Amino acid sequence: MSFATDRRSAGEWVQFVAGGAIVAAMFYPTIWMVLSAFKSNREIFRHPFGLPEEWRWGNFAEAWDKGGMGGLYLNSIMVTVVAVSLTVALATAAAFAFSRLEFPGRRWLYRLLLIGLLLPPPVVAIPLFAILRDLNMLNSLWALILPGAAWSLSLTIFIMHGYFTSIRPDMEEAAVLEGANVWQVFRDISVPMVWPSMLTLAIVNTINIWNELMFALLFIVDEDKRTLPVGLIRFFGRYSTDYAMVFAALTITTVPILLLYFLLQRHVIAGLSATSLD
Amino acid sequence: MAQGDSRVAPISTGARNILFVAPAMVLFGVFVLLPLATSLYYAFTKWSGYAEPEWVGFSNFTRAFADPVHLAAYMHVSLYIIGTLFLEVSFGLVMAVVLNSDRFGFSIMRGMFFSPMVLSMTAAGVLWAFVLDYRLGLLNSVLRSFGLDDWAQPWLSQSETALIAIMFVSGWRFAGFYMIIFFAALRRIPRNIYEAATLDGAGPVKQFFTITLPLLRHQMLTCVLLAITGGFAGFDLFFTMTNGGPFNATEVPATWIIRQGFDNNELGYATALTVILAVVVLIVSLIYLRVVERSDVVRY
Amino acid sequence: MKHSLRLLAGCGLAILAGTAALAQTELRITHAMSSGAGSEAFNAIVANFEAANPGLTVNQIVFDDDIYSDTGLITQLQSNEVPDIYFQWAGYPVGRDVEAGYAYDLSAAMADGWQATFIDSAFSSGAGTAVDGKVYMVPLSLDVTNTIWYNTAIFEEYGLTVPATWDDFIAAIKVLAEAGETPIIEGNNELWPLGNWASHVAARVVDPLRYDAAFRQEISFADAGFLPALELMQQLHEIGAFNVDMQGLGADPAMAGFFQEAAVMHPIGSWLVGSEGDLAEDGFAYSQFDTPVIDPNHPAPDSVIGTITGFVMHAQTTHPDEATAFLKFLTSAESQVIWAEAGAISPVKGVGDVANLNVQMKGIGDMLANAKTMIPPPDTTYPVPVAEAYYQAAAYAASGEKSAADALVWLDETVTAMGKQ
Repeated sequence: MSFATDRRSAGEWVQFVAGGAIVAAMFYPTIWMVLSAFKSNREIFRHPFGLPEEWRWGNFAEAWDKGGMGGLYLNSIMVTVVAVSLTVALATAAAFAFSRLEFPGRRWLYRLLLIGLLLPPPVVAIPLFAILRDLNMLNSLWALILPGAAWSLSLTIFIMHGYFTSIRPDMEEAAVLEGANVWQVFRDISVPMVWPSMLTLAIVNTINIWNELMFALLFIVDEDKRTLPVGLIRFFGRYSTDYAMVFAALTITTVPILLLYFLLQRHVIAGLSATSLD
Repeated sequence: MAQGDSRVAPISTGARNILFVAPAMVLFGVFVLLPLATSLYYAFTKWSGYAEPEWVGFSNFTRAFADPVHLAAYMHVSLYIIGTLFLEVSFGLVMAVVLNSDRFGFSIMRGMFFSPMVLSMTAAGVLWAFVLDYRLGLLNSVLRSFGLDDWAQPWLSQSETALIAIMFVSGWRFAGFYMIIFFAALRRIPRNIYEAATLDGAGPVKQFFTITLPLLRHQMLTCVLLAITGGFAGFDLFFTMTNGGPFNATEVPATWIIRQGFDNNELGYATALTVILAVVVLIVSLIYLRVVERSDVVRY
Repeated sequence: MKHSLRLLAGCGLAILAGTAALAQTELRITHAMSSGAGSEAFNAIVANFEAANPGLTVNQIVFDDDIYSDTGLITQLQSNEVPDIYFQWAGYPVGRDVEAGYAYDLSAAMADGWQATFIDSAFSSGAGTAVDGKVYMVPLSLDVTNTIWYNTAIFEEYGLTVPATWDDFIAAIKVLAEAGETPIIEGNNELWPLGNWASHVAARVVDPLRYDAAFRQEISFADAGFLPALELMQQLHEIGAFNVDMQGLGADPAMAGFFQEAAVMHPIGSWLVGSEGDLAEDGFAYSQFDTPVIDPNHPAPDSVIGTITGFVMHAQTTHPDEATAFLKFLTSAESQVIWAEAGAISPVKGVGDVANLNVQMKGIGDMLANAKTMIPPPDTTYPVPVAEAYYQAAAYAASGEKSAADALVWLDETVTAMGKQ
């Protein structure tokens, strides 16, 4: 990335200082969380600011063990990977059909899907519980994967549809003229064409599904099937008086995601800009 | 966003093409539409979750409209949405302008400003519960260290401050999201428009109101819709920070539904509340879309 | 070739190991003992049980207390993979489970001499462990759900003694408040901690029959005479008795605050003793007294509020014999000594004489033994929404959010609006 290299004007310095001050204030709670994770309980109360007297790495090992963080991470990763792949794959196929193909009920089905854009998930929590029970899926990761994927479909299809309509179908038409069937066109032409958009949508959905709380709270019981947000709530309930442990657990659950985000920052931002739907 | 039916000719026609949408529609049908449809049945029953549901007609709905906490929940969520328009959408817009620079340091500042979005709401809620704790929290420690002991408040324990505190935390978490949306749009505004305005003697504030704001209208309208639908869906932050308390002062529809359904075992009543919520969200969104449709901005 | 043979042998071993694991019977037990001495003792008993029964493993599904009673238990009872044994509060919850068909009838197992090992009152008509003469709950603890814990060092510092009457109690609070102390800390964000105490206060000033009728929605709370009870809560608020963040604080942080000397008194249940080891500094001196007599002319002026907690077997358990075996093991004299020494009052005969009890538990035991009346907490006796509404009204009055009279009006309106529960 290249930066403007000429000298900054006074206005630009004001902009830099104002922006920097606000950003620093907003970021401070995160830093405070990480620093507190190294402190003892007593130190957190007596010296809430500043660096820890002693860097207690042991806090993390203890929180990792007590919270069963390894299992929580594994479950969260499984749920997220499967649900996101499912959503993006199905949404791409559907968006392809809605934008490139004609079939009976096309407009009607598309409008039906868009209902999902406006409805909040709490609306179905209770009946969904009963449906999952009848499907024998409660207390399994499928209870998070399938509803998680289903609730992500509307937005993903909507945005993907936007991508498709923004690209002229010349290549696809050419392939049809050469005798390719619709499935071949989809697989060999369209998917490679929208591949970057699929990746950014995967990132957007990952943030949502990774952080999902309510379904995870209601549909999963067993300790060994819990995901990170629920594990964190439980941890907080159990050790609510052990501040150092809670901060260590918070740090363990958030810092790897933050690091990953800073690594992928450009893709995340590209993905989210896409949701601005212009 | 305008993508209605000004579409090019389809590359293939025929009923078989429905196979491409079938998997998505099945998933959507089973886990979104079917529960929506069954809630229409449960909403008319008294159902403890223990015994079988029992048909009670409209009584859940009459009760819902007489339930003071339920009505207050809509009041709170409306205030919350208004709060998010200021603390998330407007603040995000301002920050998009402030952080719109190619100078060294701004890219990392945008990254840091956005970073709370990556944290789960749960983590954010737990973290902020500690920041706002009365006895040992960071905020009151800061105030006391400046000698402002009287300003230290039990933020989440009094009905006057709890909802506002949650709005600020929500702003902290979501402002980055709106900033990114506006920032992406700002980048597409040609620089020479601003240069011309500068030559005409317009200062940065005037440029913001005469150039930036009008050109970001599309994004503004989308963001307002996202804030409204997102606000009605608000659950995690309320659940982790106050769970509706103190005195139901932060009770929003989602927390009240979960409390009725699972804490009080009134699943029938809770489902009726969800039906009301769905109808309210749909009506509000449709009215909003109808209003802005005239300006040809959002069209499905 | 050799390689593939070894591979095959390896697969064979893996399959054998697999079947061995299948032969293990797993008992799923869900409960809310998530930390403290009680959970350690329970783990020890489970380990002993597994050692004595090599074919059985116990899978504990543990929830934090509040989540357990909110969503944790109900989602499991309704699940397609039910727990074999679950923790429950005696009284209304057990009756509701029986009605819904979740609770297993233990009468046959109990008749086999098991029942005789428990104290008689564990199965009395008011105990809430049996429905229509059939036993559904195996009692594990007698819990005093509210007593007033106090910091003895601070009491001494101000020359205070255990109050004998409500007026003495108020006087002591005033002394503490004027000295800048926080007299009482309560973490009431879930409403039951103060609600429980406020119910005990109400049970001391409201006529017992009317008290019962109000919670059953037969008469209004106003007609039942609840105003004085709420006025006492308002009085406590007016003299600055409570911590200012009471309504936003969790029950556990409030307890931690008491042990960290952030306040002088803490009204909560007997389970506080189990957390002493985790939360208190060495040498922290404390004791407890029951809510002082409010109205000497009341039929039960010195009642104690408490309940029985224990385990229920799920009616759909696939291992009823193994589950019964575990519950018998859990309530054997040996296990109960471990349990009682961790800070519980055992419902099993003779355990109190054998176990080396903590001094606090002795005090609680004496209080129970001397009590003429035991009042159960409303949220385990009456429909939960009604109990919760009273708890909310008490919170209104105790924090000055509404006057006692307004809180009472709010209470009756809310209870009327919810319809017959």
